[in-house]
Amino acid sequence: MALANAATGHGALAAPDGRAFIDNPLCGDCVEMEVNLAGSRITALAHQVKGCLLCRAAASVIGKRAVGAESEEVERISAGVSEMLEQQAPPPAGWQELSAFAPVHGHRSRYDCVRLPFRALLAALRAAGER
Amino acid sequence: MKWALYERLRAATAAGTSCAVVTRIADGAQAFFDGERWEGAIDLAAAQRAAVRGMLVAGRSGMLPGEQDLFVRSYARAPRLIVVGAAHISQFLAPMATLAGFEVIVIDPRRAFASAERFPGVTLVTEWPDEALARLKLDATSAVVTLTHDPKLDDPALIAALQSPVFYIGALGSTRTHAKRVARLTEAGLGDKAARIHAPVGLDLGGRAPYEIAVSILSEVIQVRYRGEAA
Repeated sequence: MALANAATGHGALAAPDGRAFIDNPLCGDCVEMEVNLAGSRITALAHQVKGCLLCRAAASVIGKRAVGAESEEVERISAGVSEMLEQQAPPPAGWQELSAFAPVHGHRSRYDCVRLPFRALLAALRAAGER
Repeated sequence: MKWALYERLRAATAAGTSCAVVTRIADGAQAFFDGERWEGAIDLAAAQRAAVRGMLVAGRSGMLPGEQDLFVRSYARAPRLIVVGAAHISQFLAPMATLAGFEVIVIDPRRAFASAERFPGVTLVTEWPDEALARLKLDATSAVVTLTHDPKLDDPALIAALQSPVFYIGALGSTRTHAKRVARLTEAGLGDKAARIHAPVGLDLGGRAPYEIAVSILSEVIQVRYRGEAA
């Protein structure tokens, strides 16, 4: 709850290197993610989320942790989130706030709420890579 | 008609906002009402203003009831029914309301529900309700009904509707659901306005099927349109 309300990283960048907008057609949640890169390292990030508590909270964790990360680390964390949700694996190392989502394991229909901001971030990184 | 007032009337009708002009027969002085604000040369009492609003909502023109000297000309567009939530009830409500003379708009960002296959011939909007309603410019001849069953989508729509001059606001959900909703709206600073919401939505016709609830909602919207909130 506190993570969701903090909305860490909410906003927009003046000149993003990569940008992505994705939504979940089943629940209407949508995430717009913008990143600036130096090589493959994220130097700045901003997101605008319209969604449920879980979606907003996951975006806040990204806002707090993703700046300074390499794109491989984002891929590792993103895969780790899926493993945590689906197989009750421990939360991925380094981003300890993600442990808050461990109880979501029991609610299969909500997995995508947590994953949506990660999918948006990966899409934004891909968009930046294509430039 | 004074030029300034004519310009206001022209701008409002061009923007698709229903509005009314009141003329005092004795001296030709006029007042303009766009559903929210009054301007012009006549100062009307609160009861007279409420009566003019009632005529505008109903799309009626004529002498203001009980007055010898005040003529009301309504420039009302077709009433709009804005349905938030592309749910089962909406699938029946949208065509019924269209047949009953309403311009119907269904808003739902859940694209899986708001699909053209489910709503043939209906104007669908897949933006979030707060963005969609800001763009649609809610006016005095608009009604808003929320049917999503999800506060994440219903609440932004209700917040926008409560800050607008729409003639009807209805929200699906039991008395208990509505009590929680009012608590959230009070937290958002709209506690004094929340009484405008009709909840549980619709007239109590006894029916439970989606098409019966659609009839009860449409009936209540029409009743409030012509009889006002006191009915």
